[in-house]
Amino acid sequence: MNVSRHPYQAGPVVWAGIIASTCLVLFFFQKILWLVVPFVLALIIYYVLLPLKLRLVLQGISHDTAAGLVSAGAFSLLALTLVFGLPGLLAEAVGWQESAGRYLDGGLKLLTVTVGQLEGRFDMLAKAHVGDELARQVADFSGHFAQKYLPGIAMTLAAWAPSLFLAPFLAFFMLRDGWRFKKFLGRAVPNAFFERTLYLLDQVDRTARLYFLGLIELTLLDTFCLAVGLWLIGVSGALLLGLLTAVLAWVPYVGSILGCLLVVLVAATDFPGQPGVAYAAVALFVLVRLLDDFFFMPMTIGKSLNMHPLLTVLMIFVGGAVAGVPGLMLVLPVLGVAMVFGETIGQVVTDPRLQARHVHGKRLRQALVTRDLSL
Amino acid sequence: MLWFKRRHPNARPTHRLAQASLFASLSERELDTLQSFMHARQFLPGEVIFDEGEDGQALYIVLSGHVLICRHGGIKQPIAQLGIGEFFGELGLLDDWPRSAQAVAGQSTELAVLFRGDFERLMESHAQIASRIAMQLARYLGQRLRGMVGKTAVEAGE
Repeated sequence: MNVSRHPYQAGPVVWAGIIASTCLVLFFFQKILWLVVPFVLALIIYYVLLPLKLRLVLQGISHDTAAGLVSAGAFSLLALTLVFGLPGLLAEAVGWQESAGRYLDGGLKLLTVTVGQLEGRFDMLAKAHVGDELARQVADFSGHFAQKYLPGIAMTLAAWAPSLFLAPFLAFFMLRDGWRFKKFLGRAVPNAFFERTLYLLDQVDRTARLYFLGLIELTLLDTFCLAVGLWLIGVSGALLLGLLTAVLAWVPYVGSILGCLLVVLVAATDFPGQPGVAYAAVALFVLVRLLDDFFFMPMTIGKSLNMHPLLTVLMIFVGGAVAGVPGLMLVLPVLGVAMVFGETIGQVVTDPRLQARHVHGKRLRQALVTRDLSL
Repeated sequence: MLWFKRRHPNARPTHRLAQASLFASLSERELDTLQSFMHARQFLPGEVIFDEGEDGQALYIVLSGHVLICRHGGIKQPIAQLGIGEFFGELGLLDDWPRSAQAVAGQSTELAVLFRGDFERLMESHAQIASRIAMQLARYLGQRLRGMVGKTAVEAGE
């Protein structure tokens, strides 16, 4: 039979389903975040280590042994880094409180100077005593910060640490059994829908792989640009600062604001009394964000998520409203996968020929297993 | 350690995929690697494998049974019958152009399926295996093209 070729276009029902399922998934993800975060980390590790495993398989090593060797190598390297790096890190941690206080003071001085200058120019601000009020509120916040927030932060870190150790285990099993799982899923699908389902699995895998590898590439590009810019301005710890800011940018909007704040604090502390340097750091930050949005993002993550920019922005807000910061971070990959699922399921369900072939196949099987049962 | 696992280069392949002409140039170890990228499907006599005009996503290799290739729903007069080791749907490996004919299982048939996405992944991770398959595929398509050109020339001469 000749099947006429009409390119499938998802309709409003399918799109409503995609958006509703994205929100539902984000809502449940928020409830089991302790499992979702290690799973996402494991997925990133899996996609990074997979080419190494496949190389070993080509050398004649079995899938199981290759997965074991690659995992053992990567996790030994991580363990060695922790063993040798942790003592130094802990020794430095003592000085972190002092550094944090110093940078906070630097930032506050910049804020005071800036507000003072603004009060000098605008009478309305001077009459409202904005500077005094701001200083009082900041003093109140920094005075009670340790008492109010540190125990909560420490408890959260202690609660998260064990679940993060799940990531290497999950990554190992993904490396060892991922291809078997894909075949297992394929076997469960009736012949009529087989090619469509394989296409779906391939698209889900491709979307996730390109997204997470794209995220790593984007982070490296951001780190490089920020580090070079901050080094040129003369800010200390440019590379570390660039990396921290690039990682913070994983959280849309909120992360960028925090990153900018961090850069300003360091710049204001390194160059007290020279607010121009802090302003230059802000300008650099804005420039990198623009580069990020218009060049780096389409080159990296944009390849994986072929979606309308307006939909992207709206869904980021929806993700934030449904599941907070985790929702902001996870909404795009979840939406990408939901789009692939929605469009493929819509295509299969609305194709009468595929349905007819499925029914025909079932009849043939029924006839085969009942041929000796009729009288 | 790997040295002990090496097979003699002239050893007779025992792999099921080795019976496919498309994989004739692959060693048994390469066939083992390839197998992890492939899927096995069973079809009953008369069951449609794919339809004419459908988007092609995969290449099929006959492992047992036989497959009828038909056009315009003419299952009673198939244009080709493919047996063990033969393959079909090869253009589906290259792009998603619609299938040019329908494939129906002639009897209980077992097929090995190489999906385009998996073939692309094979090209990324095992370029040597993928290039050998691509070369065999190119030879096969060349032969078909020459056959078609020859047929057209004969018809034009008549």
